[in-house]
Amino acid sequence: MLKSKMANLKILPIPLILIVLAFATQFLGNYYLSILRDALMWMALAVSWHFFSGLTKYISLGSAAFFGVGLYFTAKFLPPSANPRAPYPILPLVIIVLLAGLICFAVALVIGLVTLRLKGIYFAILTFGVSMVIQYVLKWWTVKIEGSAVGSSVYPPAFDSQTQYYSILIAMLATLLLTTFLRRSKLGLALKMVGENEEAAVHVGVNTSLYKILGFAISAMCIGFVGGSYVTRVPYTNPDTAFDAKYSFLPAVMALLGGGGTVLGPIVGSITLSLIWSYLQAAFTTYFLIILGSILIVIVLFMPNGIMGIVEKLRSRLMGRKELTKAPKMPP
Amino acid sequence: LDIIIGGALWGAIYSLIAIGLNLEYGVTRILNVAHGEFLMVGAYVTWFFFTFYGVNPLVSLVISGPAVLVLGVLIQVIVFRRLVHLSASGEELEFRSLLACFGLMFIIQNVVASIGRLAKWPPGGIGTHYLYETIDLLGQRVQLNLIVAAVLSMIIGVLMYILLRSTRLGLAMRATVEDPTGAQLVGINVLKVHAVSFGLGALLSALAGSMLVMIYSLTPFSGPPYTYIALAVIILGGMGSFIGSLLGGFFIGYVYYTTLTIEPLLPMAIVYIFIIIMLIIRPKGLFGR
Repeated sequence: MLKSKMANLKILPIPLILIVLAFATQFLGNYYLSILRDALMWMALAVSWHFFSGLTKYISLGSAAFFGVGLYFTAKFLPPSANPRAPYPILPLVIIVLLAGLICFAVALVIGLVTLRLKGIYFAILTFGVSMVIQYVLKWWTVKIEGSAVGSSVYPPAFDSQTQYYSILIAMLATLLLTTFLRRSKLGLALKMVGENEEAAVHVGVNTSLYKILGFAISAMCIGFVGGSYVTRVPYTNPDTAFDAKYSFLPAVMALLGGGGTVLGPIVGSITLSLIWSYLQAAFTTYFLIILGSILIVIVLFMPNGIMGIVEKLRSRLMGRKELTKAPKMPP
Repeated sequence: LDIIIGGALWGAIYSLIAIGLNLEYGVTRILNVAHGEFLMVGAYVTWFFFTFYGVNPLVSLVISGPAVLVLGVLIQVIVFRRLVHLSASGEELEFRSLLACFGLMFIIQNVVASIGRLAKWPPGGIGTHYLYETIDLLGQRVQLNLIVAAVLSMIIGVLMYILLRSTRLGLAMRATVEDPTGAQLVGINVLKVHAVSFGLGALLSALAGSMLVMIYSLTPFSGPPYTYIALAVIILGGMGSFIGSLLGGFFIGYVYYTTLTIEPLLPMAIVYIFIIIMLIIRPKGLFGR
């Protein structure tokens, strides 16, 4: 009985949070709205990253590749409405973002096919390298093939702050729903098994390669969606800003901060870190990266299981006392 | 011919940077993505003594190297020693130390940038531009400082090799690479070896930085490209292989320089395509065990 009550309590806040998020534009000023929007964006990235890398423990440092592809592709195919000589047919934003996600899916599929036998640090380096290669080749392409000047940018149309907020909110909800749903499916279980003991998974007949590639591609697709909807926020984009290495590192850092292996981990971690980030950036413009680096080291050194690890510990300490008195003495 | 000479000279410098990174990773299992930052710090130390005290940049190798060695040892002892205790498995350590290194990268870059802002150092970057004149080398005009840097890199590399092969410290380091537990059992102070190796890696990077600043202008944010190149070299040559780093350095030097002369926008992409192909075909590298 206690358990079902607990479950009710856990579900109760979700509709509340959704309502608050849906009407946030009504009561938040532009500044706070932009902070919330960025927090949601990082949350979507951390959740997508965690879906593959958190579950399987194959650490990907290539999120920027998919984020950049999504963002750049969308920016490219969304010509400013003031430009009548747009070289491409004008499609609605939603369709372009979906297309961008599919492209990321395909790219990740190819990467996955050739690389997922690599493990640990090799996989991390490889994914990071892929993002660098796409960035530099795109740069070369814009200069040599399209003939633009070095360092030139693409200017997507400007959006008002409400559109910015809602497009990112929708992308976030979509990735959250998709990954939560898939986590409980056969795919999610297989991915989790890979993370816990890949050899055992192979032995009981799980086609780990298939699930790993699929999981990686879906995670990439979600990152592509987020990157695509982020186009509403940026005034301009070019290969250097779209493939910025921070889009690779921060999702991983946020998921680690929240605590790997839990559903809430990446959500808690990303919100915490992006709020700290916004605050520091506003308060200590020149020194905030020093503080951020120190926070990163402190997290790694003193919070190895993240925020959720600490919460777990506290909870087990609170609950544990009751259970300990009841539990029979176990032989050592 | 320009490509042959240029590739060899840059290759020598890349080798030096990569040997440092390899020493750090090979012995301590910490993939130090802040390696380029040590290079930058070394460059700043040299520049500082050159500009304000008129110390010859080549002489200040003896200042910048040990200074960064101390920095590296301190960082290893304060940050990474605790990480080793915390991490249950090697993979966990590798990932956590990777994150810690990114933190370190942010800190070092921005501390130097902040000091630079406060002290009104040139914001566009620093350079000693020492020995900037060009000389004739096999019919090619080559900058003298590039030749000096390459030759010194090789000398330092050879010294490092001798240190690894025929001193007690080198023996202890190699033993730790082969089998950390075994090394501890025969009485090697593994913790000390880790700290010293990390420091020596940082030292090599700093020396390379001191020499690079004769050739180029560097800013507090110029480190990462060198880290990436060094990473490419050790993936190619094999992690933990000295000879691999040496030859890989020359190889990447040629690839980089050739692409640079043909297509100035692509070198980084080509270097990374090499890493990716290498990782797919033979992740251990050419000379890896």
